[in-house]
Amino acid sequence: MQLETALLIGVMFTVATYLVLQRSFVKILFGFLILTNAANFVVLAMSGRPDGKVAPVVLDPQSPMVDPLPQALILTAIVIGFGVAAYLVFLLYRLFLDQKTTNAAELYDEKESG
Amino acid sequence: MNWPLAPILLPLLTALVTLFWGRSSLPRRWFVAVSATMQLVVALHLTADTVLGRTFVLGLGAWPAQFGIVLVVDLLSAIMLSLSALITLASVLYGYAETSVRLEHPLRATLTQFLVMGINLTFCTGDLFNLFVAFEIMLIASYALLTLEADDWDIKHAFPYVAINLFGSALFISACGLAYKLFGTLNFAEISLRAALLTGDFRLHLLALVLIVVFGIKAGLFPLYYWLPNSYPTLPIPTSALFAGMLTKVGVYVLLRMFATVLPHELTFAHTLLAWLAGATMVLAVMGAISRNFIRGILSFHILSQIGFMVLAIGFFTPLSLAACVFYIVHHIVVKSSLFLIGGVALRLNGTDDLDRMGNLWKHTPWLGLLFLFQALSLAGIPPLSGFWGKYLIVVVGLQEREYWLVGASILASILTLFSMLKIWNGAFWTVSNSVPLRTGDRRWVGMTTVVAGLTVVSLVIGFGAEGVLRIAMQAAERLCDQQGYAREVLAYLGKAGGNLSP
Repeated sequence: MQLETALLIGVMFTVATYLVLQRSFVKILFGFLILTNAANFVVLAMSGRPDGKVAPVVLDPQSPMVDPLPQALILTAIVIGFGVAAYLVFLLYRLFLDQKTTNAAELYDEKESG
Repeated sequence: MNWPLAPILLPLLTALVTLFWGRSSLPRRWFVAVSATMQLVVALHLTADTVLGRTFVLGLGAWPAQFGIVLVVDLLSAIMLSLSALITLASVLYGYAETSVRLEHPLRATLTQFLVMGINLTFCTGDLFNLFVAFEIMLIASYALLTLEADDWDIKHAFPYVAINLFGSALFISACGLAYKLFGTLNFAEISLRAALLTGDFRLHLLALVLIVVFGIKAGLFPLYYWLPNSYPTLPIPTSALFAGMLTKVGVYVLLRMFATVLPHELTFAHTLLAWLAGATMVLAVMGAISRNFIRGILSFHILSQIGFMVLAIGFFTPLSLAACVFYIVHHIVVKSSLFLIGGVALRLNGTDDLDRMGNLWKHTPWLGLLFLFQALSLAGIPPLSGFWGKYLIVVVGLQEREYWLVGASILASILTLFSMLKIWNGAFWTVSNSVPLRTGDRRWVGMTTVVAGLTVVSLVIGFGAEGVLRIAMQAAERLCDQQGYAREVLAYLGKAGGNLSP
């Protein structure tokens, strides 16, 4: 499980970096969404191997539990990430309304903006 | 004692009340001003108490410190809280002098208070994850402030700021994960005890490097600062002064806290890296400042150059250099904010802050010129003003450590700072030209200048009372480095259960 998780996180970070560096606003947006989730996965992976452990709800005090703290942490991080994503959508939309473009390269073209 | 909660609760309540108060009006303004004053009083009270050797520890939810969320206010936190309250008060009052009630954006006060809440939580927090949350509160408020009153040209510069901070946040949460795996806890006090056992483990160095990137973005260290000089000048003047004074210094504070209190002191590689990055920041940023030709642009680059000095002091990592860093932060926050505010007054008077089209200010408003002269020379480090003492100590430590290149870089940066301050002086104050309009008929500048004068007095007191301030800075640095003492104070908090954990 650990190796697969590590690979998944690696792939997600790679894809996110690739998308963030693209010109299209939509791709940039998706890049940041994936980036946030990749970071959340890193934290989740820190609770260790889940094999043979039960969910962190105490029903049977004898069986080992998965470490609940990383899950609590990413719950907070997901909520924050959601808020920031909503903000980012609006920022990109406003950029589109003001500048009439969805291309980041055009947006920062020095010659055009003067 | 519940005092550590007050610096967070007061801005939160103020923000909520102003949110529902709606349109800006005179009573609403009074309410915010009174709240800002109260925050300053509370912060000064905390400083006065902590300077006597106390450390406030408050467990939220009354769990023992290892398990719950703790707020810790030691001397450095209290100093930072006072500075943030002071700058907020100045920014609020300046905003009142600048904008009439009718034109004020109603959300500016609300968002500013949320921003202050995030900043104060950063200073008070005692664990890494709560620090992340505090950063996010601060960042989201700052995103909103950056775009609140932006026009279609300004808004373009908000995007790089948001983008790089989103990247920083993702890295920060990953760093939290790494730290949790490594130490099994996120509490600063516990980490400091457990990290001492891991010295030499390469994962610890890895974590230190990730943290340098995360907080380096926030502080504006060398390869990571390009977002700052374009985004800050687009803000309204009072907000830009608050940002310039506080936001990057939050990054410096966290670097101080991490490297002195939380991580072991033997991370020599990370310290050396910090010192050299700081050297590069100082020189390159001051060159950026010289290349700019409008006041707020020049000042924005100077923030970065000064960050270099503070981080250089952290990089040297001796007790004296950490004290110098604390002193420098105190000096810099006051001076930098007041310079931004002076730039704002000059902008009002001349109608522009493009140095080619400014002038006549010295002839008609000598008081403003005098204030600028004090603060600009202080920034460059002319004795006996406040900037000199911090720089002097950093250079002394550099010579003791035989880092001659870095000392040379810092002196070069100071000289170039003086040069670019003179550029503003010549352009805006000294030039006499008939083609430049001077709007002294608009009496708003008098109130704005009065606020700046208040900040200048504070900065002069720091300069002339350098010995006393330095003694406090020494004490703050000493307690910052005392990991054992910090852990003892924090872990002594047992909560309501009295340390009894079994249900």
